[in-house]
Amino acid sequence: MDLVLQLLFTGIGIGSVYALVALGFVLIFRATNVVNFAQGEFSMVAAFLMVIFAVDLGWPYWLSALLSLGGMAVYGVIFNLGVYYPLRHRTYLPVIISTIGASILVTNTMLALYGPQPQVLAPVFETPGFNIGPVYLDSQYLLIIAVTIVLVAFQYWFFEHTLLGKKLQATSQDKEMASLLGIPVAAMIMITFVYSALIGGLAGILVAPILFVSIQMGGTIALKAFAATIIGGFGDVAGAIIGGLALGVIETFGAAYVSVPYKDGFAFLVLVLFLVFRPQGLFGERVAEKA
Amino acid sequence: MQVTRRVFTSGLAAGLAAPALLRGAQAQGATIKFGQVVPITGPAAEAGKYAMAGAKIALEKVNKAGGVLGKQVEIVTEDDQTTNPGAVLAFSKLATNADIVGFIGSIRSTQVHAMAPDILKTAKPCMFGGTDPTLTKLGNPWLFRCRPNDSYSGRVIAAYGLEELKLKKWGIVHSTDAFGTNGMKALAGALEAAGVKPVVIQGYANQSQDFTPVVLALKQAGIDVLGSYFTFENDLGIFARQLRQLGVNAPWVGSPSIVNVTALKLAGPALYNTFGVADYAEDSSPEAKAFADAYRGMMKVDPDNQSSWTYDAVNLLAAAINKAGKTDPQAVREAMLSIKGFKGAEGEYNFDQNGDGLHGYNVVQNKSGKIVFSKHIEFKD
Repeated sequence: MDLVLQLLFTGIGIGSVYALVALGFVLIFRATNVVNFAQGEFSMVAAFLMVIFAVDLGWPYWLSALLSLGGMAVYGVIFNLGVYYPLRHRTYLPVIISTIGASILVTNTMLALYGPQPQVLAPVFETPGFNIGPVYLDSQYLLIIAVTIVLVAFQYWFFEHTLLGKKLQATSQDKEMASLLGIPVAAMIMITFVYSALIGGLAGILVAPILFVSIQMGGTIALKAFAATIIGGFGDVAGAIIGGLALGVIETFGAAYVSVPYKDGFAFLVLVLFLVFRPQGLFGERVAEKA
Repeated sequence: MQVTRRVFTSGLAAGLAAPALLRGAQAQGATIKFGQVVPITGPAAEAGKYAMAGAKIALEKVNKAGGVLGKQVEIVTEDDQTTNPGAVLAFSKLATNADIVGFIGSIRSTQVHAMAPDILKTAKPCMFGGTDPTLTKLGNPWLFRCRPNDSYSGRVIAAYGLEELKLKKWGIVHSTDAFGTNGMKALAGALEAAGVKPVVIQGYANQSQDFTPVVLALKQAGIDVLGSYFTFENDLGIFARQLRQLGVNAPWVGSPSIVNVTALKLAGPALYNTFGVADYAEDSSPEAKAFADAYRGMMKVDPDNQSSWTYDAVNLLAAAINKAGKTDPQAVREAMLSIKGFKGAEGEYNFDQNGDGLHGYNVVQNKSGKIVFSKHIEFKD
C-alpha cells in the first residue's frame, strides 16, 4: 500500500507537468487549428530565463519568476508574429513546419549560448520534502500539483465568465463569424499565443528544479504532453488535464510493476490504443458530430 | 620543339607524379605531424577544447625534450562536429595528408567504430579514448587505447565493493543504451565470478524524468551496496536525489560519470560519500599530478579524463616513433606494443596485443563535493 501511494503521488506530480504543457498545446490548437511543435521549447526558454535571472544575476526568486514570465509574454508575441502570422492564410502544413523550424532554431540558439551541460535551478522551498507516514512528498511536486489546480480553476473562470475569454472562445470556434461580430481575430490569436507561452513557461519554471535546465528538457516533456492531448481529445481543455494526469500515473505504475526501461513505451502504447479505438480521445467530439 | 606522343606522355606522367614526389619530399621535411580528430563544434565542443589542451601540453613537453627523431612535432586538427559522419569526414581529410605519421582519434566509442574501417585502410597508428571493450577486438591492428576499457570498470566496481567495503547484497542500476548495458554485464559478471548474485538489476531509458519505481525496487530488495552505470549526468542527478529522499543510504560505487564535474554540480549533497571509478585521478601518481599542474597553468580549470588521455596519446606516439627510430607505421606499431611500464597521467601503460594500454582503474570518493583518491586497482589480464 505504501508503495502504491508513493507511486500515485509521483505519477500525479509528473502528470501535472504533462497537463500544464498539454494545456498550451490545446489552446493554440483551438485558436489556429495547428499543433505547435515548439510548445516544449516554451518551457525550456522560460527555464533558461530563470537561470539567467536567479542564478547568473542572483536576483530574488519571485522577481526572477515574474521577469521570466514577462519574457515569455514577449516571446509569445514574437513567436506569433514570426512563426504563425505570416502563414495564417495558408493551410495547416506550412504553419506546422514553421513551428518545427522555430523549435530547431530556439534549441540550437540555447545550445550556442549555454552549451550542452544541464544547469541547476534551486527549488522554490528550502525544505526539499517531508514524510507523511511512509510516503515521501517532494515539495516541488506538491507545488506543481497546487499550481495545476489553481490554473485549471482560473482557466475555467477566464473562459466561461469573462468577456475576453468568451471572445477567445468565439474566435477559436469560428474566425469568420467572430470577425463579423467585431472581434479582432488577429489580436485574439496573439493573446492565445501569449497565454500559451505563459503556461508553457510556468511549467518549465516549476519543473526545472526537478529535471534540471537543459536544451532537451522541452522536447521530452512536449512529446508526452502531445500524447496527453490526444488521449484527452485534441482541443479539449479538461481532456488535456485528465490525459496528462492519466499518462503520468500509467507510466509510473507501468514502470514499477512491469518494466522500467519500457516506461516511455507505456505512454505511447496508450496513445496508440486511443488512436486505434477512440481517435477522438476521452472528451473529444466525433469528427462527424463536429461537422 | 615538336610535341611527339612520347614527349607528351612523359610530360603527363611527370605532371601526375610531381605532387606525390613533392609530398614525399615534404614528409622528409622540417616537422613530424600528428593528426587529431576532435569536436570543435557541436555538443562536445567544450570537451574538445580540453582534449586539444591535453595534446598541446604533451606537444610542448615532447618538443622541449628534443622532439621526435630530432624534429619538432606539429598537430593538425580536424573538427568531428560531435557526430559520426563528421568524425569519418575529419579522419579521411587528415588521412589524405601523407605527412601525418599517426593519429589521435576520439573519446567516443561510437565515433571510433565509425572511423575504424578508414583507420584500417590508412594503416597508420591511431590512439583513441573510447572505452567500449569491443573496439580492440575488431582485428584492427592500428587502434591503440589510452584509457582502460569498460570491462575493467565493472571488475573494479565489484572488487572495491566486495573487498574494500566488504558488502555482498548488490543492486545494479544501469542505462539501457550500449554503454550502460555492457557495463552492467561486466559488473554482474565480475560479481558472479566472485560467487555473488546481485539481488536486483534495474535498467532505465536515457532522459527519464522520474526514478521513483527504480528506487522503490532497490529499497524493497534491501540492498546494502549499489553499483551503477549512468550515461547522462541529468539522469544521475535526478536518481541520486530521489534515492536519498526515499531513504536508500547504501554505499554506492558508480561508473566514471558519478565523479564528473557536471554530476557534482547537478546532484550536490545527494552524491556525497559515494565512490566512483575514474581513469584519471590527480593524486594517483606523480605523473598525474604533474599533468594537473601544467593543465591548470594553461586552462585555469581542473583537468579531467577529456584531456589526460590526449596528453598520454601524444606522449606515447612520440615515444613509440623514437623507439622505432623511423616513422614507418609497422615499425611504430611494433614499438608501441613493446612499450612496458610507461608512466602516463592516466596510469601505467603496458600495451597488450589487442592495443589496450591500461588494465585498471582508480577508485575515488566524493567527500563533501571534493573528489579524493582512494585506491588504484590493477589487473594483470
